[in-house]
Amino acid sequence: MRDIVRMIVVLSLIAAASGLALSLIYRITKAPIAYQTIRFVKEPAVKKVLTGYDNDPILDRKTLVVGTDDKGAPVEITIFPAKRQGETFAVALEGKGKGFGGLIGVMVGISKEGKVLAIGITSHSETPGVGSRVEEASFTDRFQGLGIEGAVTVDGISGATYSSTGVMSAVEQAASYVVKYKEEIF
Amino acid sequence: MGDFILLMISAILVNNILLIRFLGNCPFLGVSRSMDTATGMGLAVIFVLTLAGMITWLVHHALLIPLGLEYLRTIAFILVIATLVQFVEMVIQKTAPPLYEALGIYLPLITTNCAVLGVAIINIEEGYDLMTAIFFSFASACGFALALVLIAGIRERFALVEIPRAFEGTAIGLITAGLIALAFSGFIGLV
Amino acid sequence: MSIKEEFTKGLWKTLPPFRLVLGLCPTLAVTTTGINGMGMGLATTFVLIFSNLFVSLLRKLIPPQVRIASFIVIIASFVVIVELIMQAYFYQLFKVLGIFIPLIVVNCIILGRAEAFASRNGPLASLADGLGIGFGFTISLFVLGCIRELLGSGSLLGVAVMWSGFEPFTFMLKPPGAFVALGILLAFMNLISSYQERKGG
Repeated sequence: MRDIVRMIVVLSLIAAASGLALSLIYRITKAPIAYQTIRFVKEPAVKKVLTGYDNDPILDRKTLVVGTDDKGAPVEITIFPAKRQGETFAVALEGKGKGFGGLIGVMVGISKEGKVLAIGITSHSETPGVGSRVEEASFTDRFQGLGIEGAVTVDGISGATYSSTGVMSAVEQAASYVVKYKEEIF
Repeated sequence: MGDFILLMISAILVNNILLIRFLGNCPFLGVSRSMDTATGMGLAVIFVLTLAGMITWLVHHALLIPLGLEYLRTIAFILVIATLVQFVEMVIQKTAPPLYEALGIYLPLITTNCAVLGVAIINIEEGYDLMTAIFFSFASACGFALALVLIAGIRERFALVEIPRAFEGTAIGLITAGLIALAFSGFIGLV
Repeated sequence: MSIKEEFTKGLWKTLPPFRLVLGLCPTLAVTTTGINGMGMGLATTFVLIFSNLFVSLLRKLIPPQVRIASFIVIIASFVVIVELIMQAYFYQLFKVLGIFIPLIVVNCIILGRAEAFASRNGPLASLADGLGIGFGFTISLFVLGCIRELLGSGSLLGVAVMWSGFEPFTFMLKPPGAFVALGILLAFMNLISSYQERKGG
């Protein structure tokens, strides 16, 4: 009997010590891990639409609550600011729009003056060779310099209307967030 | 149904757990000297791996995720596997003593078989649902058993042949494995 | 054996994975480049050192019937620590080594040393044993990684070193190449040790 008690006590103590140590390390590494995973996934897109900054947009990222979904959980968006000497002069954020095959994710770079700097497609399920052509520079370049108030329209790709309008509504969504939360962002 | 068949072919041949994914090598080289031990080990692994794949999936989805403890996945899984092997050992000892004698030390060794923990983790990483996870675990274990038996068959023949001293034992076993892996690489593109 | 001997034996006499034929899975899988091999070796060494140390410190307190279970909990805890640290500060390496980081927990070397050495020897000796074997393993992985990288991609540590027009043996980077390379290296080492035996004996 004494043996069994001893076994249980020793095992429980070891398990408890392990649990304590692990939750401690987890707490410490949680933030760096979040930073690394976001950086790995989003940095290429962010770098494509923002230039000329001296900060780390991923490190300085802000999260804004923009509403609630049907279950009542908060819907958040992440804003990546581009700064020069501490002043934010542009931001990058992702907008989503309904394309032909599903939601198209677009990273949009917007300047403080309210103009689109550049866009980059982050995710899509469009038809290869047809709708996927929205990724080409010849299409994405059309968004440069557009104002962010009101509807966003450019010439679509012929034969890929839904994909083109999907990108446009994604850029519109991103733009509308910047207009609405201008105070918090800049 | 077609998806499951594709998954099985992929797991057994194209992405053979041992020859292509490199999981399960330690016992592999130790056990594959004779066909009998290889077959016994293969069957034991099929049994344990399929069960382990199922139970670890359940533990992950029913326990770790709701409690937000995914980072404890590794430790939870290995404990599940160790307990499972212990349990299987007791059951086999009671119900089939000759089998227990035959497997000997190889049964507890399944705990440290990277294939078991590896497949459990792959199930989660690839986001398989329960049915797919069970299938994948079973198929991977079959692939392991297949590779094991193949190599054992060849190594048994080595007993009759002269091998340079330096290559005897593990070295020639590795090179043989390499050649079989080369053959299996031919399956890439099949699925 | 003196502490120094405990350490140095890991570098040749019981060199994993060649003399101490354990820990083969990661050896074959991650040694596609020298850096990857070294990274894996260092992560394994970290776990080995601490698990040996703690197992040794607790050896008198753990009842024999639950010793394997206790060892597993101790080893697994340190593996999770390594996982978290790598994810936070060495993300690229973490992504490359992938599934083999959690698989350190079933690396037979670690459980093997805990059972065969750390549970029967003092903390200082166990520490030396862990360090020696860990370093030996790291060096083996690094060398194997460099060989496969050199022949398979024509580069060393990421820098292209072979002459232009060199057709890389991509075979070396694939699974079959791993088995064959390890087999040949092992045979080579057997040759060296039998030569040593003849000389010394």
